[in-house]
Amino acid sequence: MTDMTARRVAIVGVGYSQVGRHTGRSERHHAAQAAVAALADAGLEAADVDGATTWGGDAIDFAWMLGMGPLRWHLNVGVSPAFVTPAVHAAMAVASGACEVSMAFRLMMQQPSSAAIAAGGSALQAPSLVDAQFMWPFGDFSPTQWAGLLMNRYLHDSDATEEHFAQFAVTQREYALRNEDALQRKPLSVEDYLAAPYISKPLRLLDCDYPCDSGSAVIFTTEERARDLRQRPVFVEASALSAVRDMNFELLPDMTRTSPAHCAEVLWSRTDLGPADVDCAQLYDGFSVITFQWLEALGLCEPGAAGPFIAEGNTRLDGSLPLNTDGGATNVGRRHGANFCIEATRQLRGQSGDRQVPDAEVAVWANAVGPFSGAMLLTSG
Amino acid sequence: MPMEQPTPPMPLADPLSDFFWSGAEQGRLLIQRCQACGTFIHLPRPVCRACRSFDLAPEEVSGRGVLYSFSETHKPFHPFFVDRMPYLLAVVELEEQRDLRVLSNLVGIAEPDVRIGMDVHVDFERLSPDLTIPVFRPAAGKAA
Repeated sequence: MTDMTARRVAIVGVGYSQVGRHTGRSERHHAAQAAVAALADAGLEAADVDGATTWGGDAIDFAWMLGMGPLRWHLNVGVSPAFVTPAVHAAMAVASGACEVSMAFRLMMQQPSSAAIAAGGSALQAPSLVDAQFMWPFGDFSPTQWAGLLMNRYLHDSDATEEHFAQFAVTQREYALRNEDALQRKPLSVEDYLAAPYISKPLRLLDCDYPCDSGSAVIFTTEERARDLRQRPVFVEASALSAVRDMNFELLPDMTRTSPAHCAEVLWSRTDLGPADVDCAQLYDGFSVITFQWLEALGLCEPGAAGPFIAEGNTRLDGSLPLNTDGGATNVGRRHGANFCIEATRQLRGQSGDRQVPDAEVAVWANAVGPFSGAMLLTSG
Repeated sequence: MPMEQPTPPMPLADPLSDFFWSGAEQGRLLIQRCQACGTFIHLPRPVCRACRSFDLAPEEVSGRGVLYSFSETHKPFHPFFVDRMPYLLAVVELEEQRDLRVLSNLVGIAEPDVRIGMDVHVDFERLSPDLTIPVFRPAAGKAA
């Protein structure tokens, strides 16, 4: 391993809150449920945790609420590539010796619906209001809209068709039928996908992840400490973050090869493993075109070929590269990337039940697209 | 009581970008340009990312460009746009510089006829007494 880090780091605990639609529970409540679940999974006490980071809420607030030990390291993450940012930082904090046991959180509360926004009284947020003024007067408010722009350009640049996107949605749902924690568990057909309404044509409803309230937590510690804990350790082989421009997705120079292409180069430069070693991939699907970009960026299929690759069945459980084996965020709900880390971990532990990839030893998970992204390569040994 | 008409989202009062909107009000497409190295910059920034000069000023551009991508909005995300469904968002690459893109609307064409790579030119649409925006139309007599 040619990572920049000093100490070898393992994931030892993962946990979710009681995820659902409009749960009525607060962000703190979801954080507490996720943390308690992760601690129980690891066999650790709250007092053992001496590092915390989150996107959503406040790491110090969560740590105090949960009775964690005095923190030797903490970090609140702002707008960034989803859960992978707190995860990479939590791993680096352990690797560097800044702390011994770190917990990474992502809290994601359900956003107001389009109907509520259109009626007034609710508004979407923007990373920069100064920049949003160059989008909003044109009626460009929602991430679904930049996703429509990326998807149209991708359809133009690649071999993909809308039927390939339908096949992707169907394959994801097949996994969800094998996952009792998924929120979407009705069988789905290609016809169902094509009958779903456009949000930002060519982007349809079923190209979008499923809004919900969720809390996710993942615990990292040293290899040495991990050996004494409850679960089989899952090791961080390599990780990478990337940013290639500011937060204006609409103005990306190349909408098809975006930050993931750069991120993948960095990731593979930090390990002796390569795309052919990957037993399963867990790739962000906030919008389905993002997963297509990641498959190509990571070299898991040929450039421009993600559509045919999926349609040929390669990403099914019996295919050459099982993909998003929990059903993806389109089906388990918007956990903003954390589900990909947690599912990769469970696959490498052999805990994925009906959707277990046999003998999975190497898993890659990745988040985000466009201006920024991040990825982590995990191994079982 | 008369129904209150929704108003469009307004630009910020921002000294760095006011020129863009006052230009549109006068029917001119103005883009920030570095006076030291000539690089066009959009969105406006306090510094040139090509040469780090702070000597930046708005300049009028041709308004000619090529359609880089587009999408058709079917769900409204603001009260003003509820009655304007569906409408086309467009990313236009201006002819002055490679990768010099603006986000705007594409008008005067139906979605099935739109082609990435088609030539477009700027026009101006008054959304309210207080706001005029630059929009793009297919260039006359030029099919993609």
